[in-house]
Amino acid sequence: MTDTIQDLVAQVRQSTDYQINKRILKEKIVTDLHMTYRNGMFLITPTVLSFVATWPDSTLYLEDTYENPIEIDRDEFLLQARQHYQTAMNVWHQQHEELKRTRKV
Amino acid sequence: MYGINNMKNLSEPEKSKGVVVFAFNTDAIDYVKIADQTSKLIEKNLGLPVTLITDKNSEPKFNYDRVLTVTNDKNDNVRTIDNVQYQWRNKGRYLAYELSPYAKTVLLDTDYLVLDSSLNDIFELDFDYKIMQESVMSAGHFPRSMGNLSHDWLWATVVFFTKSTKARLLFELVKRIQENYGYYRSLFHISSNFRNDFAFAMADIILNGYTTDYKNYLPYKMFTVTEKLKNLEIKNNSIVIRQEAKADVSPIQNLHIIDKEFLLSENFQKFVEHVTA
Repeated sequence: MTDTIQDLVAQVRQSTDYQINKRILKEKIVTDLHMTYRNGMFLITPTVLSFVATWPDSTLYLEDTYENPIEIDRDEFLLQARQHYQTAMNVWHQQHEELKRTRKV
Repeated sequence: MYGINNMKNLSEPEKSKGVVVFAFNTDAIDYVKIADQTSKLIEKNLGLPVTLITDKNSEPKFNYDRVLTVTNDKNDNVRTIDNVQYQWRNKGRYLAYELSPYAKTVLLDTDYLVLDSSLNDIFELDFDYKIMQESVMSAGHFPRSMGNLSHDWLWATVVFFTKSTKARLLFELVKRIQENYGYYRSLFHISSNFRNDFAFAMADIILNGYTTDYKNYLPYKMFTVTEKLKNLEIKNNSIVIRQEAKADVSPIQNLHIIDKEFLLSENFQKFVEHVTA
């Protein structure tokens, strides 16, 4: 009997909540999606990527997270931003898949 | 009063950037021991020099860039966590500006575990100071009002500053607020004892013409673990935050740990050894 209760307690202690873990993961990915470029800080979103990708000139000025206009070399920025976005989103997907499987740790 | 007993290194050329931590032991908690452990994480994940500001009774073991001793007035604060009262010595944080040997500094609390390199990105920006504004915990958003009729506090757990006029004014205001806390407590309708989180928030508001400016804040949130901890483990590129009755799984990220007893435990030492190996 005692063993059973202790087993149950041990199992409860190993339980984890998917929704909580999912939210913790998302906050971290938002942190990771920030990228510094020429003294500016940018949150790399699909909107930023699309806007820069479709800009016709090789140089443009983009407002960063802190309302500073930063001079952007379109191709250089796009390359870095795409890599940054891809890395963060890959981690998000990979860890999210892992979390979906995890009910006990 | 605070006195500076050891400033022999300050005439040396300033290094470009580094970390400053404060640790004053109380009767119950060996904050210097905690700082020794968390500084290993800073060294590993940021690769920056760490300066410890402490008092003459401390015996730090970590190989700090510098150890600066100041006279502590032992004017303790008391905080209740899980019905247990803990002392902590939080006065004198304003000395960080004067004592930091670095041109750009991040001032960290000893209970902040640096487990990734994201703080290094902030050094690439131009700033006078940047303070952690928001925190989340496993239960969601961390409420942070200084009182029912007051403003929100800022998290002095992570404060970046450059040696500049505006940053100097911020720290001078923090000193003024500490020394005249009764007045500022009434002015801002604050309902509890002195906290650095409150002092930095008030100083920031005053310095910005009695308003707030998000450009002085870090762009992302800090994850705070408020619960009593049994253990931290790295598993499948994640951190398992094991508590009494459950466990949270977090990606590897910086953590603010409220449970000081855990930070003094053998389990935490093993975690640090594992991470820094």
